[in-house]
Amino acid sequence: MPPELSVVLAVVTAPFAVAGVTPLLIRSLGEKTGYAGAAVAAFCFALLGTQYGSEGTVELAWIPSLEVALRFYVDGWALLFALLASGIGALVFLYSPAYMHGESGLARYYAALLAFMGSIIGIALAADLIAIFLFWELTSLCSFVLIGFHTDDASSQYAARMAMLVTVGGGLFVLVGFLLLAFVAGDIVGPGTSAFDLAAMLDRPDEMQTALREAGLFVPVLGLLAVGAATKSAQVPLHFWLPNAMAAPTPVSAFLHSATMVKVGVYFVGRVRPLFASLEWVVLFATLGLATMTICALLAVAATDIKELLAYSTASHLGLMIAGFGFTSILGAETGVFHLFNHALFKAALFLIAGIIAHETGTRRLDELGGLRHDLPVTAFLTAIVALSMGGIPPFSGFYSKELLFEATVEASHHHDLGPLDWLYPAVAVFGSIFTVLYSLRFLALFFGRQPDSLDHVHRPPVILLVSPAVLAALTAVVSIDPELAVRAIVQAGVDATAVDPGAHEMHVGLPTSYSPAVGMSAVAIGSGVLAYPFYDSIHRSIRSIPRAVPPIGANWWYDAITERLTDDGAWLASRVHNGLLRTYATWTLTATCVLALAGFVATDAAVPPVGFDPASLTGLDVPIAAALVLSLAVVAGLAVVTADSHVAGILTLSILGFMIAIFYILASAPDLALTQLVVETLVLVIFLLVVEEIPEYYEVSLGRVARDAALSVLVGATAFITVLLTTDARPAGESAIARYYTEHAVPEGGGQNIVNVILVDFRSFDTLGELVVIAVAAISILTLIVMRSRGDESSVAIEDAEGGSANESHESHETRGESE
Amino acid sequence: MTTVIMRTTARIVVPIVLIVAISLLIEGHNLPGGGFIAGVLTSTAFVIVYIAFGLDFLERGVLGRDVDPGKTPSRDRVVVAYRRLFTVGLAIAVVSGLVPLALDHPFLSQSYIVLEGVPLYHHLEIASALAFDLGVYCVVVGGLLTIISVVGAE
Repeated sequence: MPPELSVVLAVVTAPFAVAGVTPLLIRSLGEKTGYAGAAVAAFCFALLGTQYGSEGTVELAWIPSLEVALRFYVDGWALLFALLASGIGALVFLYSPAYMHGESGLARYYAALLAFMGSIIGIALAADLIAIFLFWELTSLCSFVLIGFHTDDASSQYAARMAMLVTVGGGLFVLVGFLLLAFVAGDIVGPGTSAFDLAAMLDRPDEMQTALREAGLFVPVLGLLAVGAATKSAQVPLHFWLPNAMAAPTPVSAFLHSATMVKVGVYFVGRVRPLFASLEWVVLFATLGLATMTICALLAVAATDIKELLAYSTASHLGLMIAGFGFTSILGAETGVFHLFNHALFKAALFLIAGIIAHETGTRRLDELGGLRHDLPVTAFLTAIVALSMGGIPPFSGFYSKELLFEATVEASHHHDLGPLDWLYPAVAVFGSIFTVLYSLRFLALFFGRQPDSLDHVHRPPVILLVSPAVLAALTAVVSIDPELAVRAIVQAGVDATAVDPGAHEMHVGLPTSYSPAVGMSAVAIGSGVLAYPFYDSIHRSIRSIPRAVPPIGANWWYDAITERLTDDGAWLASRVHNGLLRTYATWTLTATCVLALAGFVATDAAVPPVGFDPASLTGLDVPIAAALVLSLAVVAGLAVVTADSHVAGILTLSILGFMIAIFYILASAPDLALTQLVVETLVLVIFLLVVEEIPEYYEVSLGRVARDAALSVLVGATAFITVLLTTDARPAGESAIARYYTEHAVPEGGGQNIVNVILVDFRSFDTLGELVVIAVAAISILTLIVMRSRGDESSVAIEDAEGGSANESHESHETRGESE
Repeated sequence: MTTVIMRTTARIVVPIVLIVAISLLIEGHNLPGGGFIAGVLTSTAFVIVYIAFGLDFLERGVLGRDVDPGKTPSRDRVVVAYRRLFTVGLAIAVVSGLVPLALDHPFLSQSYIVLEGVPLYHHLEIASALAFDLGVYCVVVGGLLTIISVVGAE
């Protein structure tokens, strides 16, 4: 059954449309806007439900000239992700009003959350590389706004900037990867199909892979996409932004930073898996995923804050999914899809529970919390289900998907020759899982044991806060009891879409009934975890002591070092390039222009003298006497400018040069050009005369500066000379086609005899419009710079007023000092 | 530079310059000229006034308003009118480009009509491009005069 374009478009655009009117909703509904958001999310969920079971591509032309379209591809994997996004979105919107009670900036919060939901559904469904990139970056932008929700908090700003830098930077890698992919795909998908059509590429995975390898682009594209996915899905060593992103309000953490946005990388890895499946793929993603899974599980044990613990745990579980997709067997696809599904349910619930704990106790520190089951009995019950699922304890849902990973690691060597990685993968997977069990038990222990004295009175949470985690926990419980139900409902369809070999494969999960290596691995992981739990505090302390002893081992240290260095270097460069002195600006601008122009000539081989250039032809130059006279007068005026002994004399002689050029234009029968030159020359002369009164009569100029100015003048002159030579030489002999077109069409189509004017206002009026905007912008910026200069800093205005008329003189003398430095 | 010679010359020259500028604007489609040249020429006329009579002359002498003398550019100078002029000009240019869209032609496409038997001219062409050119003129005059009056007041 093919999908319905109108339905798909409605699902993607509805959240954006409502995001646009959020300020109005806030005005009429106030804090209840969250429920409107929940309604939008539920609407999307229901519409997506109608597409259940459909598969195919629908598209809407967007930029036909570039073959870019709003192309959507619906299949089991896309639907699974989109349904998760809208479903969890609805629960998070339902949870938000009670949690965000009394906060300001709700319009921004809900608008960003809605726009985010639209983008994530867009990523799930889009099949056009450009559209995927667009939605990809939109999610990063929304995440930036939401992490930095507390705009007056420095740590929140720091976290938002970090997330932006890492995820948007990763997005740029993805863009380059996409462009390379499209470059190769052009020949494969054939004419009539856009090179950006991912669905068409997925139809021919083997041809694509062969073509990529032939072009030598297989590893580069794989690497670029891997960097993008790793930044988005917080894989080691780019995982550090995720724990910092916990500065966002908790519903945001539950939605963006556990259930959906961070899964975009995983989702995309699953999506392109059939294209890239190979030994390189296994080594790259299985290693990346298992390393992330283990390192982040260790860091989660080292966490001191409940949201920090959950954040590292999220990164660790994302590593598990990436590792699953990294194995090319069908078990790998089952691991990735099923764990993505399970994790979205239990981790979103855990975040919402963490929000309840923080809301009711006022603290998020692990060592200040304990024995909460007396005050929060319902929450404790829900936590037991989802925390045990997170730890992968049978018979909870997380167990099944982790069991699949163990099987995949064991079977990996059957498909590829992995060398020592053959036994290393299973060992690392088990080692990482031990810590998963540890921190899951630690989170559950918040509700048991003795209640610290500092927690004297814990409020009961309002029922509305409990609804969302309860729904998620109930779903987790259903999956735990009957995993086959989830498999039949949606997971099987997702596995079919991400499997490398499209052959039908029935997926079966359930509690093990006989011994297999995977069962043994699970037993070792859970047993060691439970046995090590009594020593949790010492393990916690020893892991914490490592980054303290060796700071460069932490990725955060590198981030800080690099950004600080960039800031310092930027400031240093700024002080060199724009230091407030006009001559510095002129030097940089002119040098850069000349160098770029000359480099352009060299790059296009234009600088090479044309073959058959005959110096003798110069003697035959046919120059009218009048033109020669005018031009030599201009040269004399140019020499006089340099030797003029006062500013006024210099300006007047300079304008002689300008007027001579105008006369030359008249001689060359270009009256419009001459008129413009004359008028502009006059105006410039007058403005110069106005300004010259303000310039000091005489100032000291050092020899080095004179040398620099002379070199610059020679460079500018040489560039202009070469440009004129090359451009006039390159002009085709006789009348070019475009010139003929203009001459022939000016009167009948433009209705004007003045071709220059007809070109300006008719044939190329769009250019003229652009130039008009430039003039307007220049005027506005000068107005802003000068009139509003004094407004920003009130104190400087006061000083200037106190000094009265002398302000200008002191300003000048300051500039003079600057010149002579 | 506010000498008697300068003032007397300005009195004679400025009206001529303005008329030439306007004729350049209107005739620009068929003869040398156009919105840009006319705009720059008009600005030059204003600049001559500024030089001959001082920055406050337009306000005090022509418009009869009262302003504080001094060097700081204030918000109630003619600058406001200039600023409005280039905004209006940009609007004219954009609207003249949008009208063809409403008539199902591409953005900024132009046309013209020929009128016969008009007094004095007999044969007159009216090009829609004139509206666009008027926009160009207004932007150039407004933009340049804004810049000049603000910088000149410094």
